Amino acid sequence: MKAVGARLPRYDAMGHVTGTTQFVDDVRVPRMLWAKMLRSPHHHAAITRMDTSRAEAMPGVRAVITWEDVPLLTYGHLEALGIPADEPLLAKDEVRYKGQPIALVAAEDVDTAMAGVDAIDIEYSERPALFDVRKAFDSDSAQIHPWGNWYPHFEGEMDRRKIRKGDIDEAFEQADKIISGVYRPAAIEHVPVETQVCLAVPESDGRLTIYSCTQALYFTMGVIAAHLQVPLNKLKVVGGTVGGGFGGKVDTASDTVSALAAMKAGRPVKWRWTREEEFLASSTRAPWHMEIIDAVTDNGWILGRKMLTLHDSGAYARFSPYGVTKHSFHHTGAYTIPNLHFDGYVVFTNRVPTTAMRGFGVTSISFAVETHMSRVANELGMDPYEVRLLNANRINDTSPNRIRYTDPSTVDVLQSLAGAEGVQLEGAYAGMTRDPRSGDLLPDHLVGQLKTEGH
Amino acid sequence: MDIDVRIPDSSRAAAADFGDGSGVSVMAGGTIMMNLLNSYRAQPSKVLLLHKAGLSYVNQDGSTVTIGATTPLADLAGLPAPLGPCAANIGDPAIRGQGTVGGNLCAIASEEFPVGDLQGALLALGATVRSTGEGGERTEGLAEFLSSGGSRLLLEVSFQLPAAGAFEALRRPHTKHFTPLAVSGALASDGEVRLAATGAASTGVRLSSAEAAANDPSEAGQAALEDVTLADDALASAWYRGRTLPTLVERVLTQLKEQA
Amino acid sequence: MRIEVNGAGHNVTSPPLASLLTVLREEMDVTSVKAGCESGGCGACTVLIDGQPRRSCLTPVVTAVGSEVTTVEGLGTPDSPSAIQQSFIHHYAMQCGFCTPGLVVAATAYVNGGGSDDLDSVAEAISGHVCRCTGYNKILEAVAAAVKSSEFDLSSTAVDKNTVVIKTGGAV
Repeated sequence: MKAVGARLPRYDAMGHVTGTTQFVDDVRVPRMLWAKMLRSPHHHAAITRMDTSRAEAMPGVRAVITWEDVPLLTYGHLEALGIPADEPLLAKDEVRYKGQPIALVAAEDVDTAMAGVDAIDIEYSERPALFDVRKAFDSDSAQIHPWGNWYPHFEGEMDRRKIRKGDIDEAFEQADKIISGVYRPAAIEHVPVETQVCLAVPESDGRLTIYSCTQALYFTMGVIAAHLQVPLNKLKVVGGTVGGGFGGKVDTASDTVSALAAMKAGRPVKWRWTREEEFLASSTRAPWHMEIIDAVTDNGWILGRKMLTLHDSGAYARFSPYGVTKHSFHHTGAYTIPNLHFDGYVVFTNRVPTTAMRGFGVTSISFAVETHMSRVANELGMDPYEVRLLNANRINDTSPNRIRYTDPSTVDVLQSLAGAEGVQLEGAYAGMTRDPRSGDLLPDHLVGQLKTEGH
Repeated sequence: MDIDVRIPDSSRAAAADFGDGSGVSVMAGGTIMMNLLNSYRAQPSKVLLLHKAGLSYVNQDGSTVTIGATTPLADLAGLPAPLGPCAANIGDPAIRGQGTVGGNLCAIASEEFPVGDLQGALLALGATVRSTGEGGERTEGLAEFLSSGGSRLLLEVSFQLPAAGAFEALRRPHTKHFTPLAVSGALASDGEVRLAATGAASTGVRLSSAEAAANDPSEAGQAALEDVTLADDALASAWYRGRTLPTLVERVLTQLKEQA
Repeated sequence: MRIEVNGAGHNVTSPPLASLLTVLREEMDVTSVKAGCESGGCGACTVLIDGQPRRSCLTPVVTAVGSEVTTVEGLGTPDSPSAIQQSFIHHYAMQCGFCTPGLVVAATAYVNGGGSDDLDSVAEAISGHVCRCTGYNKILEAVAAAVKSSEFDLSSTAVDKNTVVIKTGGAV
């Protein structure tokens, strides 16, 4: 245990402070081309005509990549988990968000690549766009996704992530008060200081070396191999030095297209996004619309909770079905509520596709749950610590998805928080433990959930 | 495309290279123009670089202060309010070392949000501007200069040191941001109170209704709303600006009273 | 056009309005200056021009002619790091490291310019720099400490050195 509590030098610190750490953009290879992307100027449109011949004929332009160059155009980030694919690597006949990639131009220098993008002849027919998840279900709402406006492929072809536990109707009949709240955290851009960047180098033995800023190297390797339809042993992905990711560099944003351009041009290709592209077209943390309605008693018990989550997925599914699943597991937070009715939808909009960011799905639901717990305490005129401690998870309590808690730390954490805040808890609350419920802490409404077996 | 880059070595040579200004893009510190060039938003054919034109100076003659167009914002930090604190509120040390008085004053209001932080402070100081361009050199009030739409080459600005001055701004979340709203106030030696806002219109604007009510800071704050047409933009909403403008005006006037 | 970078001369082949950032990175392979935003907003490309912090992305290379340009490579090397570089290591004032060269450059200008160890003053000095990893506190501490001290302990104090097998400066 020599390392615990000791100062450990960062192995990369000296490189960072002296500027010798090599990030993707710092890798130098001879004969490298620069790439620029034609991106959709519209939120939702049909592509009615595209002609890249003028760009291809420009002096200095070495490759133009469109959907026709991609061996497997549509591949899902979570196909391995049974989530089908909906997002083309490059737009084919329609665009569904502003900034969506359409065609990449690789050229001898950045200016020529930019001029090549400008020389692509393209026409669009704009379509109505959808931005508000609450309107996605209206019959007169713009239809923006071939699967419908919300994701329909949860297990058993369900159109939502659903939790039903206990008897929600009885909980609401027995309640002294009904307390509701709506919580709407906004999208957040990850803003890594290093923008998305890739350098793809075709090697003389037919393999590709790909310098990647990915946070998930082997995942990225699989995604590239699938789109390119090549075996993994044709790819050497070099990663490990990421200039900030925060979840935004899990999606494989720049590697695959750079690889295709390098193969087509037979030259190394670097594609470095501008800050504007990063803000416009890189994935963000999702915005959510969450509604919570609680059945509570005047003495602070939460008998039941109805919850609706609308998870704004943006234009494509990516990891969002996994994100809304987190909401279903965590929608009671660190508290035990025996009667539950949860519906979580992954809703498509014409925003940039959303993705993981630091605690994927859990930060948003925790924000809603904890804010709502304080609202319950406020409306009951109770201490916010006491409402939380009363309903806190205890050993043998069960989660929304019927997992039995064997060692929940809610009580200890709340007591420590109160201590740190200088709040003096009343005796019964100060002495509370995580031990199984009994006596006053095992009212009738919590008996049933203890008997829940299995999943 | 090759750009015709001119680097005049005197203000006279700068005026000659500028001519009537048609087809000329002027670059002083580069903080605005380089951004446009890097992002392909500007593709000029002729650029006038002013870093060797001898226009960087702060001169004081009695109570008259004269500032050359390419004086970096950092060099204004020691000047009294509202100009000194206004300049110190722009960017960070690197940007203030690079950005210039002329560049900031002549910043063309983008479609997205108002720019030109110094405009409010210099309007409150009643500054005059010496410029060159079509019809040769001339000197005029800053408001007239701004209304000419940035088609002239600014050479220097002058103002009288005020008896009292104050500057108040909404805090910025990051130095990159332009100030969403700022109010400058100055009490001239003849007793006139001048107030001006930045961020309340596409250029800096005098708050004449607030000036008329200057004896009552609270009333003046409300009156200031009659002097502006607030807009929603990326930096702040019109609603937010409307709620905060009276407070900034009130604070500025209170400070002027305390100093007087 | 000839510019002086870290004490060495270089004949520029880019056009006069090319950014100093582009010339440093793509002509001279001085890769510590980072293209984080190319609009002056992130601070990752900050260099010293005649000792003063400047955004190389906003500097037309022609305006750097006749001046001394210094990047973080010119402030210290892995064999001989400057006090500020040591302080950043000692205080763990970095995570991903992408913003670090620009911050070290700005901190150097601040400390050399007689800046104080008051944390508000330090915060103003580095206010143009975006770091998304650290939350800034450790950076503030590192700069403030460098105002007062010129040597810092870079080693672990309790761990057998033989267990640390990864060399510093490792990249990929």
